[in-house]
Amino acid sequence: MGTAAVVGVGHTQFGQRSDMTLAELAWHAIKEALQDAGITQRDVDYVVTSNVGGWSSEPLPAILVNEYSGLGDVGVMRVEAACASGSAAIRAAYNAVASREAEIALAVGVEKMTESPTLQAVELLGRAGNFFWEFEQFGLTFPAYYALYATAYINQYGAKEEDLAAVAVKNHFYGSLNSLAHFQKKISIEDVMSSRYIAWPLKLYDCSPITDGAAAVVIASEDMARKLTDTPVWIRGIGVASDTSNLSRRQNFLGLASTVKAADEAYRKAGIDKTEAVRRLDLAEVHDCFTIAEILAYEDLGFVGRGEGYALAREGETYKGGLIPVNLDGGLKAKGHPIGATGVSMAVEAVKQLRQQNAKARQADIKNGYALTHNVGGTGHYAYVTIYSLNRPTQS
Amino acid sequence: MSFRIRIPSIWRAKRFLYRLEGYRCSRCGEFHTHSRYVCRRCRSRELTLERLPTRVRLVDYTVVHQATRNNEDNLPFIVGLVETPDGVKILGQITDCEPEDLAPGMELETTFRRIGVDGDANIIVYGYKFRPEIH
Ligand SMILES: [Zn+2]
Repeated sequence: MGTAAVVGVGHTQFGQRSDMTLAELAWHAIKEALQDAGITQRDVDYVVTSNVGGWSSEPLPAILVNEYSGLGDVGVMRVEAACASGSAAIRAAYNAVASREAEIALAVGVEKMTESPTLQAVELLGRAGNFFWEFEQFGLTFPAYYALYATAYINQYGAKEEDLAAVAVKNHFYGSLNSLAHFQKKISIEDVMSSRYIAWPLKLYDCSPITDGAAAVVIASEDMARKLTDTPVWIRGIGVASDTSNLSRRQNFLGLASTVKAADEAYRKAGIDKTEAVRRLDLAEVHDCFTIAEILAYEDLGFVGRGEGYALAREGETYKGGLIPVNLDGGLKAKGHPIGATGVSMAVEAVKQLRQQNAKARQADIKNGYALTHNVGGTGHYAYVTIYSLNRPTQS
Repeated sequence: MSFRIRIPSIWRAKRFLYRLEGYRCSRCGEFHTHSRYVCRRCRSRELTLERLPTRVRLVDYTVVHQATRNNEDNLPFIVGLVETPDGVKILGQITDCEPEDLAPGMELETTFRRIGVDGDANIIVYGYKFRPEIH
Protein backbone atom coordinates (compact mmCIF):
# COMPACT_ATOMS: atom_id res chain seq x y z
CA MET A 1 0.00 0.00 0.00
CA GLY A 2 1.11 3.52 -0.73
CA THR A 3 0.69 6.45 1.59
CA ALA A 4 -2.16 8.94 1.48
CA ALA A 5 -2.83 12.31 3.03
CA VAL A 6 -5.71 14.68 3.58
CA VAL A 7 -5.12 17.79 1.48
CA GLY A 8 -8.45 19.56 1.70
CA VAL A 9 -11.32 19.84 4.17
CA GLY A 10 -14.78 21.41 4.12
CA HIS A 11 -17.54 21.68 6.71
CA THR A 12 -20.98 23.29 6.66
CA GLN A 13 -22.80 24.97 9.49
CA PHE A 14 -24.38 22.21 11.60
CA GLY A 15 -27.93 22.72 12.86
CA GLN A 16 -31.41 22.74 11.46
CA ARG A 17 -30.73 23.34 7.78
CA SER A 18 -34.23 23.73 6.34
CA ASP A 19 -32.68 26.17 3.86
CA MET A 20 -31.02 23.49 1.74
CA THR A 21 -31.59 20.11 0.11
CA LEU A 22 -29.33 17.18 0.92
CA ALA A 23 -27.33 17.68 -2.29
CA GLU A 24 -26.88 21.44 -1.75
CA LEU A 25 -25.70 20.84 1.78
CA ALA A 26 -23.15 18.27 0.59
CA TRP A 27 -21.98 20.61 -2.18
CA HIS A 28 -21.20 23.40 0.26
CA ALA A 29 -18.83 21.07 2.13
CA ILE A 30 -17.37 19.68 -1.11
CA LYS A 31 -16.78 23.15 -2.60
CA GLU A 32 -14.87 24.25 0.47
CA ALA A 33 -12.79 21.05 0.50
CA LEU A 34 -11.90 21.40 -3.20
CA GLN A 35 -10.92 25.05 -2.71
CA ASP A 36 -8.89 24.15 0.37
CA ALA A 37 -7.02 21.53 -1.69
CA GLY A 38 -6.63 23.91 -4.64
CA ILE A 39 -8.29 21.54 -7.09
CA THR A 40 -11.51 21.35 -9.09
CA GLN A 41 -14.13 18.64 -9.57
CA ARG A 42 -12.22 17.36 -12.64
CA ASP A 43 -9.25 16.36 -10.48
CA VAL A 44 -11.30 13.93 -8.38
CA ASP A 45 -11.00 10.27 -9.45
CA TYR A 46 -13.35 8.62 -6.99
CA VAL A 47 -16.06 9.64 -4.54
CA VAL A 48 -17.45 7.90 -1.45
CA THR A 49 -20.59 9.30 0.14
CA SER A 50 -21.63 8.57 3.69
CA ASN A 51 -25.34 8.88 4.37
CA VAL A 52 -27.52 6.77 6.61
CA GLY A 53 -30.77 8.13 5.23
CA GLY A 54 -34.31 7.18 6.06
CA TRP A 55 -35.01 10.73 7.23
CA SER A 56 -34.21 12.42 3.93
CA SER A 57 -36.11 10.05 1.62
CA GLU A 58 -33.26 10.07 -0.89
CA PRO A 59 -32.37 6.44 -1.54
CA LEU A 60 -29.53 7.28 -3.95
CA PRO A 61 -27.75 10.15 -2.21
CA ALA A 62 -24.35 9.40 -3.74
CA ILE A 63 -25.56 9.96 -7.29
CA LEU A 64 -27.59 12.98 -6.30
CA VAL A 65 -24.60 14.60 -4.62
CA ASN A 66 -22.22 13.78 -7.49
CA GLU A 67 -24.54 15.23 -10.09
CA TYR A 68 -25.35 18.37 -8.11
CA SER A 69 -21.68 18.93 -7.38
CA GLY A 70 -20.55 18.49 -10.99
CA LEU A 71 -18.28 15.57 -10.14
CA GLY A 72 -18.96 14.00 -13.54
CA ASP A 73 -19.03 10.31 -14.28
CA VAL A 74 -16.39 9.06 -11.85
CA GLY A 75 -16.98 6.01 -9.67
CA VAL A 76 -19.04 6.61 -6.59
CA MET A 77 -20.82 4.68 -3.87
CA ARG A 78 -22.69 5.30 -0.68
CA VAL A 79 -21.44 3.56 2.47
CA GLU A 80 -23.29 2.81 5.67
CA ALA A 81 -21.97 1.84 9.09
CA ALA A 82 -24.65 3.59 11.19
CA CYS A 83 -23.15 6.59 13.03
CA ALA A 84 -19.65 5.49 11.93
CA SER A 85 -20.52 5.79 8.24
CA GLY A 86 -18.37 8.91 7.84
CA SER A 87 -15.25 7.07 8.94
CA ALA A 88 -16.20 4.15 6.70
CA ALA A 89 -16.28 6.60 3.77
CA ILE A 90 -12.85 7.92 4.70
CA ARG A 91 -11.47 4.40 4.93
CA ALA A 92 -12.87 3.50 1.50
CA ALA A 93 -11.48 6.70 -0.04
CA TYR A 94 -8.13 6.17 1.70
CA ASN A 95 -7.95 2.59 0.41
CA ALA A 96 -8.68 3.75 -3.14
CA VAL A 97 -5.71 6.13 -2.96
CA ALA A 98 -3.33 3.94 -0.95
CA SER A 99 -3.92 1.04 -3.36
CA ARG A 100 -3.18 3.46 -6.24
CA GLU A 101 -6.58 2.97 -7.85
CA ALA A 102 -7.09 6.72 -7.49
CA GLU A 103 -4.78 9.73 -7.25
CA ILE A 104 -7.38 11.87 -5.55
CA ALA A 105 -10.49 10.61 -3.76
CA LEU A 106 -13.22 12.54 -2.04
CA ALA A 107 -15.08 11.40 1.08
CA VAL A 108 -18.33 13.23 1.75
CA GLY A 109 -20.64 12.83 4.72
CA VAL A 110 -24.12 14.34 4.67
CA GLU A 111 -27.28 13.90 6.69
CA LYS A 112 -30.57 15.75 6.92
CA MET A 113 -32.38 14.53 10.01
CA THR A 114 -34.55 17.41 11.14
CA GLU A 115 -37.19 16.98 8.47
CA SER A 116 -38.46 13.86 10.27
CA PRO A 117 -40.69 14.32 13.32
CA THR A 118 -38.77 13.61 16.55
CA LEU A 119 -40.60 10.37 17.31
CA GLN A 120 -39.86 9.08 13.85
CA ALA A 121 -36.20 9.94 14.33
CA VAL A 122 -36.30 8.13 17.70
CA GLU A 123 -37.71 5.12 15.88
CA LEU A 124 -35.16 5.21 13.07
CA LEU A 125 -32.32 5.48 15.58
CA GLY A 126 -33.86 2.81 17.81
CA ARG A 127 -33.89 0.47 14.87
CA ALA A 128 -30.09 0.78 14.79
CA GLY A 129 -29.55 -2.22 17.02
CA ASN A 130 -31.16 -5.57 16.77
CA PHE A 131 -34.46 -4.27 15.47
CA PHE A 132 -36.73 -7.20 16.22
CA TRP A 133 -35.39 -8.39 19.55
CA GLU A 134 -34.50 -5.11 21.17
CA PHE A 135 -36.38 -2.19 19.69
CA GLU A 136 -39.59 -3.85 18.57
CA GLN A 137 -40.23 -6.25 21.44
CA PHE A 138 -38.81 -4.43 24.41
CA GLY A 139 -39.00 -0.79 23.42
CA LEU A 140 -35.28 -0.18 23.80
CA THR A 141 -34.46 3.14 22.18
CA PHE A 142 -31.00 4.31 21.15
CA PRO A 143 -30.52 6.26 24.41
CA ALA A 144 -31.70 3.15 26.29
CA TYR A 145 -28.94 1.01 24.75
CA TYR A 146 -26.34 3.41 26.13
CA ALA A 147 -28.29 3.76 29.39
CA LEU A 148 -27.61 0.06 30.02
CA TYR A 149 -23.89 0.83 29.71
CA ALA A 150 -24.27 3.86 31.98
CA THR A 151 -26.00 1.97 34.78
CA ALA A 152 -23.51 -0.89 34.58
CA TYR A 153 -20.61 1.59 34.70
CA ILE A 154 -22.09 3.56 37.61
CA ASN A 155 -22.80 0.37 39.58
CA GLN A 156 -19.34 -1.04 38.98
CA TYR A 157 -17.18 2.02 39.64
CA GLY A 158 -19.32 4.37 41.73
CA ALA A 159 -19.41 7.14 39.13
CA LYS A 160 -22.12 9.77 39.62
CA GLU A 161 -24.61 11.22 37.17
CA GLU A 162 -22.77 14.53 37.76
CA ASP A 163 -19.63 12.96 36.25
CA LEU A 164 -21.52 12.22 33.06
CA ALA A 165 -22.87 15.77 33.16
CA ALA A 166 -19.30 17.11 33.25
CA VAL A 167 -18.78 15.72 29.74
CA ALA A 168 -21.82 17.65 28.46
CA VAL A 169 -20.64 20.84 30.17
CA LYS A 170 -17.17 20.56 28.59
CA ASN A 171 -18.49 19.84 25.13
CA HIS A 172 -20.99 22.69 25.29
CA PHE A 173 -18.17 24.99 26.43
CA TYR A 174 -16.21 24.15 23.27
CA GLY A 175 -19.38 24.28 21.17
CA SER A 176 -19.75 27.88 22.34
CA LEU A 177 -16.38 28.60 20.72
CA ASN A 178 -17.17 26.84 17.43
CA SER A 179 -19.17 28.95 15.00
CA LEU A 180 -20.13 25.83 13.00
CA ALA A 181 -21.66 24.05 16.02
CA HIS A 182 -25.39 23.35 16.34
CA PHE A 183 -25.43 24.55 19.98
CA GLN A 184 -23.20 27.49 20.87
CA LYS A 185 -24.43 28.00 24.40
CA LYS A 186 -22.55 27.09 27.58
CA ILE A 187 -24.42 24.96 30.10
CA SER A 188 -23.88 24.11 33.77
CA ILE A 189 -23.91 20.85 35.70
CA GLU A 190 -27.26 22.02 37.15
CA ASP A 191 -28.70 22.46 33.65
CA VAL A 192 -27.84 18.85 32.85
CA MET A 193 -29.01 17.47 36.18
CA SER A 194 -32.37 19.23 35.97
CA SER A 195 -33.12 18.14 32.40
CA ARG A 196 -35.70 15.39 32.01
CA TYR A 197 -34.85 11.70 31.82
CA ILE A 198 -34.85 10.15 28.36
CA ALA A 199 -33.61 6.71 29.46
CA TRP A 200 -32.50 6.68 33.08
CA PRO A 201 -29.78 7.58 34.04
CA LEU A 202 -29.39 9.52 30.78
CA LYS A 203 -31.12 12.88 30.62
CA LEU A 204 -31.87 15.15 27.70
CA TYR A 205 -28.55 16.99 28.14
CA ASP A 206 -26.63 13.70 28.15
CA CYS A 207 -27.79 13.11 24.56
CA SER A 208 -26.47 14.45 21.27
CA PRO A 209 -29.07 16.27 19.16
CA ILE A 210 -30.76 15.54 15.86
CA THR A 211 -28.85 17.68 13.37
CA ASP A 212 -28.39 18.46 9.68
CA GLY A 213 -24.95 18.97 8.21
CA ALA A 214 -22.24 17.93 5.80
CA ALA A 215 -18.46 17.59 5.76
CA ALA A 216 -15.93 16.59 3.11
CA VAL A 217 -12.26 15.64 2.88
CA VAL A 218 -9.96 15.33 -0.13
CA ILE A 219 -7.47 12.47 0.12
CA ALA A 220 -4.45 12.40 -2.20
CA SER A 221 -1.53 10.12 -2.99
CA GLU A 222 1.89 11.13 -1.67
CA ASP A 223 3.09 12.58 -5.00
CA MET A 224 -0.13 14.53 -5.47
CA ALA A 225 -0.21 15.68 -1.86
CA ARG A 226 3.30 17.10 -2.15
CA LYS A 227 2.28 19.04 -5.28
CA LEU A 228 -0.85 20.43 -3.66
CA THR A 229 0.23 21.48 -0.18
CA ASP A 230 3.08 22.09 2.25
CA THR A 231 1.09 20.66 5.12
CA PRO A 232 -0.38 17.31 4.10
CA VAL A 233 -2.03 15.52 7.01
CA TRP A 234 -1.09 11.85 6.67
CA ILE A 235 -3.51 9.08 7.47
CA ARG A 236 -1.22 6.97 9.63
CA GLY A 237 -3.54 4.18 10.67
CA ILE A 238 -7.15 3.14 10.48
CA GLY A 239 -8.53 0.44 12.75
CA VAL A 240 -11.95 -1.05 12.23
CA ALA A 241 -13.98 -3.61 14.19
CA SER A 242 -17.53 -4.70 14.98
CA ASP A 243 -19.56 -6.39 17.69
CA THR A 244 -22.77 -8.43 18.18
CA SER A 245 -26.05 -6.96 16.96
CA ASN A 246 -27.86 -8.05 20.11
CA LEU A 247 -26.63 -6.33 23.27
CA SER A 248 -27.52 -9.33 25.41
CA ARG A 249 -24.58 -11.14 23.80
CA ARG A 250 -21.97 -8.56 24.86
CA GLN A 251 -19.26 -9.73 27.26
CA ASN A 252 -19.83 -6.78 29.58
CA PHE A 253 -21.26 -3.26 29.62
CA LEU A 254 -18.19 -1.46 30.92
CA GLY A 255 -16.65 -0.64 27.55
CA LEU A 256 -17.01 -1.20 23.82
CA ALA A 257 -14.97 -4.19 22.67
CA SER A 258 -15.11 -2.96 19.08
CA THR A 259 -13.44 0.32 20.06
CA VAL A 260 -10.66 -1.52 21.88
CA LYS A 261 -9.98 -3.72 18.84
CA ALA A 262 -10.11 -0.82 16.38
CA ALA A 263 -7.84 1.31 18.59
CA ASP A 264 -5.28 -1.47 18.94
CA GLU A 265 -5.12 -1.80 15.16
CA ALA A 266 -4.86 1.95 14.56
CA TYR A 267 -2.13 2.43 17.20
CA ARG A 268 -0.15 -0.50 15.83
CA LYS A 269 -0.31 0.86 12.27
CA ALA A 270 0.70 4.33 13.45
CA GLY A 271 3.54 2.98 15.60
CA ILE A 272 2.05 4.29 18.84
CA ASP A 273 2.30 2.31 22.08
CA LYS A 274 -1.25 2.32 23.46
CA THR A 275 0.00 2.82 27.02
CA GLU A 276 1.68 6.04 25.86
CA ALA A 277 -1.21 7.31 23.75
CA VAL A 278 -1.88 10.42 25.83
CA ARG A 279 1.76 11.45 25.52
CA ARG A 280 1.83 10.99 21.76
CA LEU A 281 -1.55 12.46 20.79
CA ASP A 282 -2.07 16.22 20.83
CA LEU A 283 -5.85 15.81 20.84
CA ALA A 284 -8.66 13.35 20.27
CA GLU A 285 -12.09 13.51 18.71
CA VAL A 286 -14.20 10.84 20.39
CA HIS A 287 -17.72 9.60 19.78
CA ASP A 288 -19.84 11.28 22.48
CA CYS A 289 -23.32 10.44 21.15
CA PHE A 290 -24.13 10.19 24.86
CA THR A 291 -21.99 11.45 27.73
CA ILE A 292 -21.32 7.91 28.97
CA ALA A 293 -19.92 7.06 25.53
CA GLU A 294 -17.16 9.66 25.91
CA ILE A 295 -16.18 8.25 29.32
CA LEU A 296 -16.08 4.69 27.96
CA ALA A 297 -13.96 5.98 25.07
CA TYR A 298 -11.32 7.40 27.45
CA GLU A 299 -10.82 3.88 28.76
CA ASP A 300 -11.29 1.91 25.54
CA LEU A 301 -8.75 4.14 23.76
CA GLY A 302 -6.23 3.65 26.56
CA PHE A 303 -6.12 7.25 27.82
CA VAL A 304 -6.66 5.91 31.36
CA GLY A 305 -7.21 2.53 33.00
CA ARG A 306 -10.53 0.76 33.57
CA GLY A 307 -12.81 2.62 35.96
CA GLU A 308 -10.76 5.81 35.74
CA GLY A 309 -12.56 7.55 32.89
CA TYR A 310 -15.17 9.32 34.98
CA ALA A 311 -12.47 10.93 37.15
CA LEU A 312 -10.91 12.37 33.99
CA ALA A 313 -14.24 14.03 33.22
CA ARG A 314 -14.82 15.13 36.81
CA GLU A 315 -11.37 16.71 37.10
CA GLY A 316 -11.52 18.48 33.74
CA GLU A 317 -8.52 16.60 32.37
CA THR A 318 -9.94 16.52 28.86
CA TYR A 319 -10.12 20.28 28.47
CA LYS A 320 -7.35 22.04 26.55
CA GLY A 321 -4.26 21.98 28.78
CA GLY A 322 -5.36 18.76 30.55
CA LEU A 323 -4.05 15.21 30.18
CA ILE A 324 -5.49 15.06 26.65
CA PRO A 325 -7.88 17.55 25.02
CA VAL A 326 -11.02 15.82 23.76
CA ASN A 327 -13.68 17.20 21.43
CA LEU A 328 -12.47 20.79 21.22
CA ASP A 329 -15.09 21.36 18.51
CA GLY A 330 -17.98 20.63 20.92
CA GLY A 331 -18.24 16.95 20.04
CA LEU A 332 -21.42 15.28 18.86
CA LYS A 333 -23.06 16.69 21.99
CA ALA A 334 -22.83 20.39 21.10
CA LYS A 335 -21.54 20.50 17.52
CA GLY A 336 -24.34 18.13 16.56
CA HIS A 337 -24.58 14.59 15.20
CA PRO A 338 -25.81 14.42 11.61
CA ILE A 339 -24.97 10.76 11.69
CA GLY A 340 -23.58 10.21 8.18
CA ALA A 341 -21.54 13.43 8.40
CA THR A 342 -20.10 12.91 11.88
CA GLY A 343 -17.06 10.77 11.02
CA VAL A 344 -16.04 13.13 8.22
CA SER A 345 -16.60 16.12 10.51
CA MET A 346 -14.21 14.54 13.03
CA ALA A 347 -11.58 14.23 10.30
CA VAL A 348 -12.05 17.88 9.31
CA GLU A 349 -11.55 18.91 12.94
CA ALA A 350 -8.47 16.71 13.38
CA VAL A 351 -6.90 18.21 10.23
CA LYS A 352 -7.69 21.81 11.21
CA GLN A 353 -6.30 21.20 14.69
CA LEU A 354 -3.07 19.76 13.32
CA ARG A 355 -2.76 22.69 10.90
CA GLN A 356 -3.52 25.04 13.85
CA GLN A 357 -6.34 26.77 12.00
CA ASN A 358 -8.82 27.07 14.87
CA ALA A 359 -9.65 30.04 17.05
CA LYS A 360 -7.02 30.21 19.82
CA ALA A 361 -9.43 29.41 22.67
CA ARG A 362 -10.15 25.97 21.24
CA GLN A 363 -6.87 25.29 19.43
CA ALA A 364 -4.89 22.43 20.99
CA ASP A 365 -1.15 22.83 21.46
CA ILE A 366 0.39 20.84 18.63
CA LYS A 367 3.62 19.33 19.94
CA ASN A 368 3.91 15.84 18.43
CA GLY A 369 1.64 16.34 15.43
CA TYR A 370 -0.74 13.45 16.11
CA ALA A 371 -4.55 13.46 16.39
CA LEU A 372 -6.98 10.57 16.86
CA THR A 373 -10.59 10.25 15.75
CA HIS A 374 -12.93 7.65 17.23
CA ASN A 375 -16.24 7.03 15.52
CA VAL A 376 -18.79 4.47 16.71
CA GLY A 377 -21.81 3.11 14.85
CA GLY A 378 -24.80 2.00 16.90
CA THR A 379 -23.85 0.92 20.41
CA GLY A 380 -20.38 -0.28 19.49
CA HIS A 381 -21.77 -2.29 16.61
CA TYR A 382 -19.21 -0.63 14.35
CA ALA A 383 -16.04 1.13 15.45
CA TYR A 384 -13.44 3.11 13.53
CA VAL A 385 -10.31 4.64 15.00
CA THR A 386 -8.14 6.78 12.72
CA ILE A 387 -4.83 8.42 13.45
CA TYR A 388 -3.82 11.53 11.54
CA SER A 389 -0.36 13.06 11.62
CA LEU A 390 1.78 15.86 10.28
CA ASN A 391 4.58 13.28 10.13
CA ARG A 392 4.83 11.13 7.05
CA PRO A 393 4.94 7.37 7.64
CA THR A 394 8.55 6.16 7.73
CA GLN A 395 8.03 3.28 5.30
CA SER A 396 5.39 2.74 2.67
CA MET B 1 -44.36 5.15 9.91
CA SER B 2 -46.17 2.11 8.67
CA PHE B 3 -43.59 -0.17 7.12
CA ARG B 4 -43.98 -2.85 9.77
CA ILE B 5 -45.17 -6.29 8.83
CA ARG B 6 -45.43 -7.78 12.25
CA ILE B 7 -47.64 -10.82 12.26
CA PRO B 8 -45.21 -13.15 10.44
CA SER B 9 -42.31 -11.87 12.52
CA ILE B 10 -44.18 -12.55 15.75
CA TRP B 11 -45.22 -15.97 14.42
CA ARG B 12 -41.60 -16.91 13.70
CA ALA B 13 -40.57 -15.86 17.20
CA LYS B 14 -43.50 -17.33 19.10
CA ARG B 15 -41.62 -20.13 20.81
CA PHE B 16 -39.26 -17.73 22.49
CA LEU B 17 -41.59 -14.76 22.92
CA TYR B 18 -44.41 -16.83 24.43
CA ARG B 19 -42.59 -19.68 26.13
CA LEU B 20 -38.89 -18.69 26.41
CA GLU B 21 -38.00 -21.73 24.33
CA GLY B 22 -34.84 -21.60 22.29
CA TYR B 23 -32.15 -23.80 20.82
CA ARG B 24 -29.22 -24.97 22.93
CA CYS B 25 -26.05 -26.31 21.35
CA SER B 26 -25.39 -29.76 22.81
CA ARG B 27 -21.68 -29.45 22.11
CA CYS B 28 -20.75 -26.01 23.51
CA GLY B 29 -23.88 -24.93 25.38
CA GLU B 30 -24.56 -21.70 23.44
CA PHE B 31 -28.24 -20.72 23.62
CA HIS B 32 -30.04 -19.24 20.59
CA THR B 33 -33.42 -17.51 20.76
CA HIS B 34 -34.35 -18.41 17.17
CA SER B 35 -34.25 -21.76 15.45
CA ARG B 36 -30.90 -22.34 13.75
CA TYR B 37 -29.27 -25.18 11.88
CA VAL B 38 -25.75 -24.34 13.02
CA CYS B 39 -24.45 -23.11 16.38
CA ARG B 40 -23.19 -19.55 15.98
CA ARG B 41 -20.33 -20.19 18.38
CA CYS B 42 -18.93 -23.64 17.54
CA ARG B 43 -20.66 -24.48 14.21
CA SER B 44 -22.08 -27.71 15.61
CA ARG B 45 -25.36 -28.91 14.08
CA GLU B 46 -26.60 -30.52 17.28
CA LEU B 47 -29.14 -28.03 18.58
CA THR B 48 -31.97 -29.06 20.85
CA LEU B 49 -35.12 -27.24 21.91
CA GLU B 50 -34.95 -26.09 25.53
CA ARG B 51 -37.09 -23.92 27.76
CA LEU B 52 -35.22 -21.36 29.87
CA PRO B 53 -35.77 -21.36 33.63
CA THR B 54 -38.49 -19.00 34.84
CA ARG B 55 -36.30 -17.56 37.59
CA VAL B 56 -33.54 -15.20 36.53
CA ARG B 57 -31.16 -12.65 38.05
CA LEU B 58 -31.23 -8.94 37.18
CA VAL B 59 -27.91 -7.75 35.71
CA ASP B 60 -28.64 -4.22 34.54
CA TYR B 61 -31.64 -2.06 33.66
CA THR B 62 -32.82 1.30 32.36
CA VAL B 63 -36.07 3.24 32.55
CA VAL B 64 -37.29 4.44 29.15
CA HIS B 65 -39.07 7.81 29.30
CA GLN B 66 -39.27 8.56 25.59
CA ALA B 67 -40.36 5.86 23.18
CA THR B 68 -42.11 5.41 19.87
CA ARG B 69 -45.72 4.91 19.03
CA ASN B 70 -46.12 1.22 19.79
CA ASN B 71 -44.85 1.74 23.33
CA GLU B 72 -46.07 5.24 24.04
CA ASP B 73 -49.10 4.29 26.12
CA ASN B 74 -46.84 2.46 28.54
CA LEU B 75 -44.33 5.18 29.53
CA PRO B 76 -42.16 5.16 31.48
CA PHE B 77 -41.22 1.47 31.36
CA ILE B 78 -38.29 -0.56 32.62
CA VAL B 79 -36.11 -2.68 30.34
CA GLY B 80 -33.72 -5.10 31.96
CA LEU B 81 -30.86 -7.39 31.04
CA VAL B 82 -31.24 -10.61 33.01
CA GLU B 83 -29.18 -13.77 33.38
CA THR B 84 -30.38 -17.34 33.87
CA PRO B 85 -28.60 -19.56 36.44
CA ASP B 86 -26.51 -21.10 33.65
CA GLY B 87 -25.43 -17.77 32.21
CA VAL B 88 -27.82 -17.06 29.32
CA LYS B 89 -28.40 -13.31 29.09
CA ILE B 90 -31.64 -11.95 27.65
CA LEU B 91 -33.41 -8.61 27.50
CA GLY B 92 -36.99 -7.92 28.46
CA GLN B 93 -39.32 -5.43 30.07
CA ILE B 94 -39.76 -5.53 33.84
CA THR B 95 -43.23 -5.01 35.24
CA ASP B 96 -45.30 -5.00 38.47
CA CYS B 97 -42.78 -2.81 40.29
CA GLU B 98 -41.20 0.63 40.40
CA PRO B 99 -37.60 1.29 39.34
CA GLU B 100 -36.73 2.00 43.00
CA ASP B 101 -37.68 -1.58 43.88
CA LEU B 102 -34.92 -2.96 41.66
CA ALA B 103 -31.24 -3.59 42.27
CA PRO B 104 -28.69 -5.53 40.25
CA GLY B 105 -28.45 -9.11 41.44
CA MET B 106 -32.05 -9.48 42.58
CA GLU B 107 -34.19 -12.43 41.51
CA LEU B 108 -36.97 -11.98 38.97
CA GLU B 109 -39.52 -14.38 37.54
CA THR B 110 -41.09 -14.52 34.10
CA THR B 111 -44.68 -13.60 33.38
CA PHE B 112 -46.78 -13.52 30.19
CA ARG B 113 -48.00 -10.04 29.25
CA ARG B 114 -49.20 -7.64 26.62
CA ILE B 115 -46.03 -6.08 25.19
CA GLY B 116 -47.51 -3.36 23.02
CA VAL B 117 -49.56 -2.65 19.95
CA ASP B 118 -48.53 -2.72 16.34
CA GLY B 119 -49.30 -0.71 13.26
CA ASP B 120 -52.38 1.23 12.23
CA ALA B 121 -54.69 -1.63 13.29
CA ASN B 122 -53.24 -1.63 16.82
CA ILE B 123 -52.73 -5.37 16.83
CA ILE B 124 -51.86 -6.47 20.35
CA VAL B 125 -48.49 -8.15 20.74
CA TYR B 126 -47.98 -10.55 23.65
CA GLY B 127 -44.82 -12.00 25.12
CA TYR B 128 -42.74 -12.50 28.24
CA LYS B 129 -41.83 -9.86 30.81
CA PHE B 130 -40.02 -10.13 34.15
CA ARG B 131 -41.26 -9.15 37.60
CA PRO B 132 -39.94 -9.36 41.15
CA GLU B 133 -40.63 -12.77 42.67
CA ILE B 134 -43.88 -13.14 44.54
CA HIS B 135 -43.36 -15.21 47.69
ZN1 LIG C 1 -22.00 -24.72 19.93
